[in-house]
Amino acid sequence: MSLIACSHCHLEFDESLMINEPENKNLHFCCNGCQGVYHLLKDDGLDSFYEKVGKNKLAKPLAVGSDSSNFDMESFTTRYIKKTDEGFSRVDLIIEGIHCAACIWLNEKVLDQTAGIVEVNINFTNNKAKIIWDEDVIKLSQIIDKIRSIGYNAYPYDRTESEKKATKNKKDFFLRMSIAIFASMNIMMIDVAKYTGYFTGIDDEMLRIIHMAEFIFATPVLFYSGWIFFRGAYYGLKNKIINMDFLVSFGATLSYIYSLYVLFGGAGDSYFDSVAMIITFVLVGKYLEVLGKKSAVDTMDKIKSQIPLEATIIKNGGKKVVSLDEIKVDDIIEVKTGEKASVDGEVVSGFSSFDESSISGESLPVSKTTGDKIYSGTINTQAVIRYKAVKNYANSTLNNIVELLEDSLNSKPKIEDTTNEISKYFSIIILTLSLATFIAWYLYVGGFENSLIVAISVIIIACPCALALATPIASLIGISWLSQEGLLFKEAKFLETFAKIDAIVFDKTGTLTTGKLTVKKVPLSLTKKELNILYSLADSSTHPVSVAIKNYLEECFENLDIITLEEIEQLPSMGLQARYNNNVIFGGRLENNVEYQTTIYHFTINDKLLATFELEDKLREDAKSTVEYFKKQNIKTILCSGDNEQAVSSVAKEVGVDHYNAKMSPIAKADYIQSLKDSKKSVVMVGDGINDSLALSRANISIAMGNGADISIAISDIVILNDKLEGIKKSHYISQRTFKFIKQNLMISTVYNVLTIPIAMAGYIIPLVAALSMSLSSLLVVGNSLRIKNRKIDE
Amino acid sequence: MNSILWIELVVGIIVSFTLLGIFIWGVKQGQFDDGKKMMNGLLNDSTEDLQDAVKKDEKVKDLREKKREKLQKKD
Repeated sequence: MSLIACSHCHLEFDESLMINEPENKNLHFCCNGCQGVYHLLKDDGLDSFYEKVGKNKLAKPLAVGSDSSNFDMESFTTRYIKKTDEGFSRVDLIIEGIHCAACIWLNEKVLDQTAGIVEVNINFTNNKAKIIWDEDVIKLSQIIDKIRSIGYNAYPYDRTESEKKATKNKKDFFLRMSIAIFASMNIMMIDVAKYTGYFTGIDDEMLRIIHMAEFIFATPVLFYSGWIFFRGAYYGLKNKIINMDFLVSFGATLSYIYSLYVLFGGAGDSYFDSVAMIITFVLVGKYLEVLGKKSAVDTMDKIKSQIPLEATIIKNGGKKVVSLDEIKVDDIIEVKTGEKASVDGEVVSGFSSFDESSISGESLPVSKTTGDKIYSGTINTQAVIRYKAVKNYANSTLNNIVELLEDSLNSKPKIEDTTNEISKYFSIIILTLSLATFIAWYLYVGGFENSLIVAISVIIIACPCALALATPIASLIGISWLSQEGLLFKEAKFLETFAKIDAIVFDKTGTLTTGKLTVKKVPLSLTKKELNILYSLADSSTHPVSVAIKNYLEECFENLDIITLEEIEQLPSMGLQARYNNNVIFGGRLENNVEYQTTIYHFTINDKLLATFELEDKLREDAKSTVEYFKKQNIKTILCSGDNEQAVSSVAKEVGVDHYNAKMSPIAKADYIQSLKDSKKSVVMVGDGINDSLALSRANISIAMGNGADISIAISDIVILNDKLEGIKKSHYISQRTFKFIKQNLMISTVYNVLTIPIAMAGYIIPLVAALSMSLSSLLVVGNSLRIKNRKIDE
Repeated sequence: MNSILWIELVVGIIVSFTLLGIFIWGVKQGQFDDGKKMMNGLLNDSTEDLQDAVKKDEKVKDLREKKREKLQKKD
């Protein structure tokens, strides 16, 4: 068995499974989708796409069955299409399937080559696209078809005020940060000359030129880039709080004023470099926070784009497509296969299965027949069904979840930040000491100017450089170590919160278990013919149980053949029935066998039971050891699932969690997390499905498994890329170790200040000492942080 | 010697602030809005891509003119 890469998506598959082309033996495709896209690109002269992709692996082309004509409907046009000043149409879309820069290039290129398209701009970071086109030349549905033809898909989204504000804010911060970095880098280069001059000798005129250049670069940093600190300090003082912003702006302004005094006549050394450095360092940290906020807005747009736009209601014997807001209680709604239910209701006619994974997290479709409840957001997977609306859209499950999610994303739990806490006291102590120094010097030594300079030097020497570096350097090393282990921390500050957690809540399906049904080994006494019949019956359905049976047979037996079965029929709540040579074949669950608690599959021919399979969702190999690790650390372990009591309790018992909750809706999970937080516990939630997203957004720290739903990954703070539960254990260990070093660094910078501040207060700080001691304190912090990775995880 | 340094300082600062000005213009134009795309911009730097960009400009110009004419006729 040898693996070869698909010529389009570059994913590797067994050679025997590939589609080969007789004309070109070098081409191998894993599916028809890849083959189609490859030839389409080649025919359109876009094959340079493959050069741009390089060795990157792409996602398989998305097979989208739904009709694109709804993009031309009036309800869609009014909601999503805007007119530009020039009379063109504009729509904002989220493109699905974007994988690398080449995907962006390809989409933009294909659309640019399409007649009637005026502007296309796809954002790589959030996959949002802005498309402007001339409606007289091309319709939006044709544009969507074009995107789909190359293996991607597009959803519309409403560009909200919050997104515009977040984008503007991000741009503003980016500009301020760029100017600060630009000026600081120039100042650093000039500093090389200045500090070399201290050792080799430098004349006053030369020093003045250097100070002048530093002054020119430091001024925009303080007043333009640093403006946000002045603003923060002002609002802090207004609320009677001395915050980090106050310390930064006050320290930087004083250093700036003192340096101006030195530049225009006074003796001594200027500290324009310190001014620029402090502002730049802290600003970079703030920019990362702004990016985090922007990504929360993008996540919400992705979630909202999944909401169905309209529903088909049955009125006066005819069908009418209405927008969701127009649906009233008691309206009869029709849902076709593949469509999402728009509001909550009760089935009035038809039989079908619904994928309720967005509510329960369980991958097995749930059978629905007259009288059964339908939840909005669940997907009809089998046949057309009609149901009566019992709630309007605003009160339905899906809208409730979206609204709650929006609220919790906008008010993410406060992250503990030891540095901020310390800096509050630090600021007060330094300011008091400086004032005391000024008074003491003025009273006992005399001279206003002299006293002021000594007082300012106390603040300058206490420059929070080491303090500001203590956390970021250690975090950077911790984060890079984590990423090497396949653990993605979206922000550095999650390290501290994760290191201090009290409780960890696991989801069941897909998190503690693999989420895939497998057949328990059973002795089979079927003839070759019967095996082929069973194999063919299982092959005729995409239901997870049938797929598991098919996989099991392929695993255990060789040379299975597909036989043509007739009259294949889905039986409500049971399974599949078919006919073969006048024999009635059945595969599924027989109604009278209700004593089984796990998923059971019976195989009968003419009502004679030939085989019984028991299917189970296996525990992950490392589930037990991960739970044990957290228990050893005195962290409460909890299992929360939407599955039934029996299934949840058996998994809970097997992995040994402290507590479990079954049959939990997404809202109940989120409320449970909230109740834990209300009892002063710092909570981590680990999940994978859409049903976990609300609970994930409420937790202090949320962890998603790498193969989970896009939404849960987008919401989570930590993503376990390699999809192994062990990753959570490793993340916790590295977080704890990094946090330990952050505390050590804070201690080092405090000791430094305790030693140098008295010297400054005594008036003994000369420029050389100041420069050396500042660098030394920063070097100590950096050097200490490098020790984080010295110990291996296994130790 | 020092007067040369003063001149160098002035020239250096003018040059660097001009470059900064161009950068600010780029940011305001939205060229840096998408961090990931910006970093991968090098991929789209071939002659072929430049030619495509010219063709696209012509296409857009044409579309704009047609639209203007149509709107004028309507008025």
